Amino acid sequence: MNVYLKYSIVMREIMAKVFIYPTTSLILSDMVERLGHIPLGSALSVRDTVQQGGVEGIDSPPLNMTPDDAKRGLKWAAVEVPPGVRGRMSLLGPLIAEAEAAIIMDEPLAFGCMGCARTNELATFLLKEADIPVLELNYPQTDDEGFAFVMAIKEFLKGLEGGEQKAGDGNE
Amino acid sequence: MAMSERKVRIAQLSCGPDYSGVQKEINEAAASVNADIFYPDLTLRDIKRNYKDFGLDVRSGDLKLAIARAVALVEGAIDADAVFITTCFRCAEAAITRNELRNYIHENSDLPVVSYSFTERTTAGTLLTRMEALTTIARRKALLARQTQVGMTLGVDSGSSTTKAIIMQDNEVIGTGWRPTTDVLQSADEVIELALEEAQVQMSDIEAIGTTGYGRYLIGDKINADLVQEELSVNSKGAVFLADCQTGFSTVIDIGGMDNKAISVLDGIPGTFTMGGICAGASGRFLEMTAKRLGVDITELGPLAMKGMGDSVPMNSYCIVFGTQSLVNALAQGHSKEDVAAAACHSVAEQVFEQQLQEVDIKDPVIMVGGSSLIQGLVRAMGDLLQTEIVVPPYSQYIGAVGAALLSSGYVEQKKESKK
Amino acid sequence: MLQDKLKEGIRDGPEYAGTVTKYVFIESNHTTPDDLALHAYELAAPVMIKETCFGLQVTGDPADVEAVIARIREVDPSHIFVKDRGFPPGDARRCRANMGGARPGYFGHEAEAGVLRYVSYGLQRMYHGDSLSPSELEIIHPKERVELSNERLLEIFNRDA
Repeated sequence: MNVYLKYSIVMREIMAKVFIYPTTSLILSDMVERLGHIPLGSALSVRDTVQQGGVEGIDSPPLNMTPDDAKRGLKWAAVEVPPGVRGRMSLLGPLIAEAEAAIIMDEPLAFGCMGCARTNELATFLLKEADIPVLELNYPQTDDEGFAFVMAIKEFLKGLEGGEQKAGDGNE
Repeated sequence: MAMSERKVRIAQLSCGPDYSGVQKEINEAAASVNADIFYPDLTLRDIKRNYKDFGLDVRSGDLKLAIARAVALVEGAIDADAVFITTCFRCAEAAITRNELRNYIHENSDLPVVSYSFTERTTAGTLLTRMEALTTIARRKALLARQTQVGMTLGVDSGSSTTKAIIMQDNEVIGTGWRPTTDVLQSADEVIELALEEAQVQMSDIEAIGTTGYGRYLIGDKINADLVQEELSVNSKGAVFLADCQTGFSTVIDIGGMDNKAISVLDGIPGTFTMGGICAGASGRFLEMTAKRLGVDITELGPLAMKGMGDSVPMNSYCIVFGTQSLVNALAQGHSKEDVAAAACHSVAEQVFEQQLQEVDIKDPVIMVGGSSLIQGLVRAMGDLLQTEIVVPPYSQYIGAVGAALLSSGYVEQKKESKK
Repeated sequence: MLQDKLKEGIRDGPEYAGTVTKYVFIESNHTTPDDLALHAYELAAPVMIKETCFGLQVTGDPADVEAVIARIREVDPSHIFVKDRGFPPGDARRCRANMGGARPGYFGHEAEAGVLRYVSYGLQRMYHGDSLSPSELEIIHPKERVELSNERLLEIFNRDA
């Protein structure tokens, strides 16, 4: 399990683990963490693969993912599914399994971990199937939308079981 | 040898290799042919603009990035010597993008480009010949552009089952040699001797030498070859030369004794290709076994198959063991030798079709080369599967040797110049 | 401990095992990466702080990094954004200098950076204690479209005619 995740769970059991989509999103990662919960993004999984490698022991640069990761992905997608989908699912699958809620934004222009549309379709489907609260949002394009966006996430996170607001929320 | 040559910078356009554990294999294959892999750098604005300009609507971000990078390479915004396009095997969106990018780069720039669809099992070894072909095209573009053979040259193709030699003079084949490969060097000596004899010339008359195939380095070293070249570039060149279609698209299929090659060619230069040593049942060896069982020489198998109907024999397996068993059973059940020969040809053609030809875009003319192209039954079976008239050029079994003789003639004038 | 390793110049590999790295982005004309770094150094926490064009990268043990991030956020809550990074800073495997091109994640950040100002505006109003106006609420919960009956449609046509 990811180091940061372990640490967070021990320290603050009341926080909810919220899967973010795009999994690389700065905005969502920030909003979830800022409002007192744990964002589950691909950086956590990538950190695991990267830290597994030694100076000389990088199996496959830059992410240090190995053919075994693609095989691990068989848990989420059959062998007929392209290896890049299975490899990405080996990063996202465990996070989805752990998620207690999810925030999904539409039509992201994102690359790398989010660079494969087929993986993204599978990941969002699994989230919707997972019987967890899901908030779907558009990227804000105006100031008003920005405020609505922030408030929607705030309300959603407040509504999560066990969720509590940390300092920084509300009138300061 | 490669180290004395300049480093080739290969731009990678890809989706998925870093998530499939094969990026290291790509880097290693490139390094072993003295090339560097790099990612063309762009701004987000360029990505959006280039992707929109190209006009292919894809959903995957990494494919959009690959498209934008391709446009930047074609427009000359980024310098590269060659392009390697690679995406996940079995992804339709990626396959469309890969083919379109390859055609786009080929038609709009001088950059050599090779594309490949990987699985998590892809290794540096699999990629090596492709990378070698790519760097060759980058380093020796002028050499590969050659369409006419000049002077008197010798080409030697050292394959896993047979060794071939060809002597050419003024764009014509004047001598041939063919032998099963036993000892690599000895077999080469024999075929060279045969070719010299037929051409009625001496070794001292030869102005340049090219070697290709499995034993190319060993033989090239011994006979002091001017050109030592992998078989993908050489066979493509030989095939379009003999089939007289040196410009435009073509497809070259070579069902060999040990591995099969299917090469999609544009202007005589290989683009996508598959090389497989998947299974003996998809090789010329299967047909040799069949001929033996039928008690005929391999040269008689083709005409025999042409008289038979392959579909009447039930084949339960492509395997060289179980498939051969099916053929023996069919004989015992009273099927004719002709039908059994046709069924064997169909079996090999179908397996190559299913396992390999799906990965390259087949464009007419389809040229079959190598020893197996002389088995008419196999050519007919392949033509039926591809729904096209297959071209078997003269000297098709000498394809590599012809390509080597043709390409090495680039050194004839060069040598004359340096003697002056 | 980490700082000793950092002093030795060890940058990649298992030496970073157990650490976390966070990106800190600033969406402001008033705060610079330099300002943030100063506040971060005040805590004297055993973390590595790297200034970048967009803000900072903070690397260290999870508790230390969290303390530093909390301090940094205080500087300008509505204009500072934080996310996890998988790679340690300056990792050769992800470095532009070694790969010829930017890491793909960079473009994703660039894309999101374009709308950060709207989020900042939203955050400012949230911290101010504003509540959503009916029209803003509608952005989150758009009213379902009401289908018109044929009779009602005719009525409207006749009225407008």
